[in-house]
Amino acid sequence: MQVGEREPAPAPRNRWRPLAVAGVCVTATALVAAGSLRGENILNIQFHTFQDSRGVTVLEPIVDLDKDFTERSGLKVKFGVDAITGASDSCARCHADGANSQRTFVNVDYRRKIGDYKLDVGGQISRENFYAADTAMVSISRDLNKGNTTIAGGYSFSLNQPQLHPTQSVENQYAHDLFFSVTQTLTKNTILQLAYDYNRISGYQSSPFLRTRVNDIMVVGNTPDLRSRQAVVVRLRQALPGDTYLQADYRRYFDTWSLASNTFSLGVEHYFKPSLLVGFTYRWYGQTGADFYQPSYTGNPIYYTGDFRLQPFNSGTYTGHVVYTPAHRLLDLLPDKTAIDLQYDRYQASTQFASSMFTLGLRIPL
Amino acid sequence: MTRTGRMVLLTLAALAVAMWTAGCATVQPWERARLANPCMVFDYNGGQADFASHWQSAREGSSGGFGVQGGGCGCK
Amino acid sequence: MQTLSRVFTATGLAAVVLLFGLTASPAALDVRGAVAGQQAPALRLPTADGTYLSLADQKGNVVLIDFWASWCAPCRHAFPAIDQLFVDFRSRGFRVIAVNLDEKRQDAVDFLVARPHGIDVVFDPRGDSARAFGLTGMPSSYLIGRDGTIRYAHAGYTDKVLDAYRLEIERLLSEPAGGEHTR
Repeated sequence: MQVGEREPAPAPRNRWRPLAVAGVCVTATALVAAGSLRGENILNIQFHTFQDSRGVTVLEPIVDLDKDFTERSGLKVKFGVDAITGASDSCARCHADGANSQRTFVNVDYRRKIGDYKLDVGGQISRENFYAADTAMVSISRDLNKGNTTIAGGYSFSLNQPQLHPTQSVENQYAHDLFFSVTQTLTKNTILQLAYDYNRISGYQSSPFLRTRVNDIMVVGNTPDLRSRQAVVVRLRQALPGDTYLQADYRRYFDTWSLASNTFSLGVEHYFKPSLLVGFTYRWYGQTGADFYQPSYTGNPIYYTGDFRLQPFNSGTYTGHVVYTPAHRLLDLLPDKTAIDLQYDRYQASTQFASSMFTLGLRIPL
Repeated sequence: MTRTGRMVLLTLAALAVAMWTAGCATVQPWERARLANPCMVFDYNGGQADFASHWQSAREGSSGGFGVQGGGCGCK
Repeated sequence: MQTLSRVFTATGLAAVVLLFGLTASPAALDVRGAVAGQQAPALRLPTADGTYLSLADQKGNVVLIDFWASWCAPCRHAFPAIDQLFVDFRSRGFRVIAVNLDEKRQDAVDFLVARPHGIDVVFDPRGDSARAFGLTGMPSSYLIGRDGTIRYAHAGYTDKVLDAYRLEIERLLSEPAGGEHTR
């Protein structure tokens, strides 16, 4: 078996939990009924399917409810059942015992205007086989210059707990995240954002499921206990003539494991009719490997890893999406200005990994 | 200068530029027609942005930097 | 490790200083627009059929000047509510001048066609009247007393603002026309 490969797992069945989704719908209805309807209250329901070159196909529904309670406060609740556990940090699905694992997460965010500042307090709980992640976050923002400048900053703390399957022992991982950003309107048609993100993870950062070859023996990896990560992001949105919009993003990332990356993204959106928006985006990503990464190891290395995310590689993603906002009420049931969105992503990496993702979304104003 | 030091300096320089541009042409609240369009709002579809961040962190060694608010119609 | 934490602290402090610097600088603070107590700026704008509507002609009535645009989300809620205020209070001397600030007339027309209304709508695509009133946000509204002075100003629209309108309009309508108002 090659490094970075996990043990072969049987193809997981497509699964999602109708009961869980129904539970969210009931909660959503209760939230809507409580308090008068005002402002931009939105119910956003999305279905994602993910299919990759290993033959894996999964389905992930996410429900997102955003509601204003007063003119100064609002609540956002997000709930999802995610079967892309090969996509989670634990890579539990890489192991046969985790093959049909699902990740369930709930995210709550409360926002409040205090004078000229806007405060957000929230948290997320995520659970799956062999991995639990809990996060608390707070952020604050302020508008200046008649809304032309927005300054924001925030902090979050995560406690991640991978279980070293097949043992029962659980490791702890602590992550602190700090960000700061400035969003500036430059002209009637241009807006620019600069952001800085600092992240510091301490604790267990290997994986019991990803193995590498050291002196011809397959072993679980051993990575440093501390990783400090920084990212600087520049984003531009430009309105062009003829109902067309341009989006350009760049991120420079580096960390103390010597992994550095560049991400470039360029997108164009155009309204063929006021009710029909079509967009196309291309994203290029390239990273160096971690300094202790090697395809296989000999001798007596201190650090070694089978985590495929730490190898040098680059990738390209092509995305096409359509948003349709019918003039007449859908099915005579849904509110005016309900929008349907469809998105297709095609991801290809220089590591020969490729995946296709399809999203169907419904955005319902309440 | 260390790599970290260079990056910090770059960020501060960028922030200084932002402050300078803040003193430039102010767009009036009634001139924000195009800025109010969803295409001009960063991560308008938050669900889609979260999903992208999710599968990207599953494949790539980098993280963070995105998902910050600002802009839009500026309506009160 | 120590260098990194020093650098991080320095960056954090710099960020905090910049944040406070920006919030404290006079240029950054929102400039207040036309305020209560002032005589309302002159307003004379065309309606859809080309005739001109002037604020001066409305002296003696209580006038709500509402600045709106088709792209402004709260305006979609405000517009029918203000139309209802007009229906409720017009017999007692209440008038509304809804100033549209869309740069493209067609956007405004599409908005209006979908919303039958009785209020007077005037068009100011260049935003001159908005500038004269010194708008700080969208939507913005000004309640003018019978003597032509601005009595109440609101930025933004919520149900609370609508409740406030009713109270304020009642108060202004109860004042005699043309005389000094008592505080």
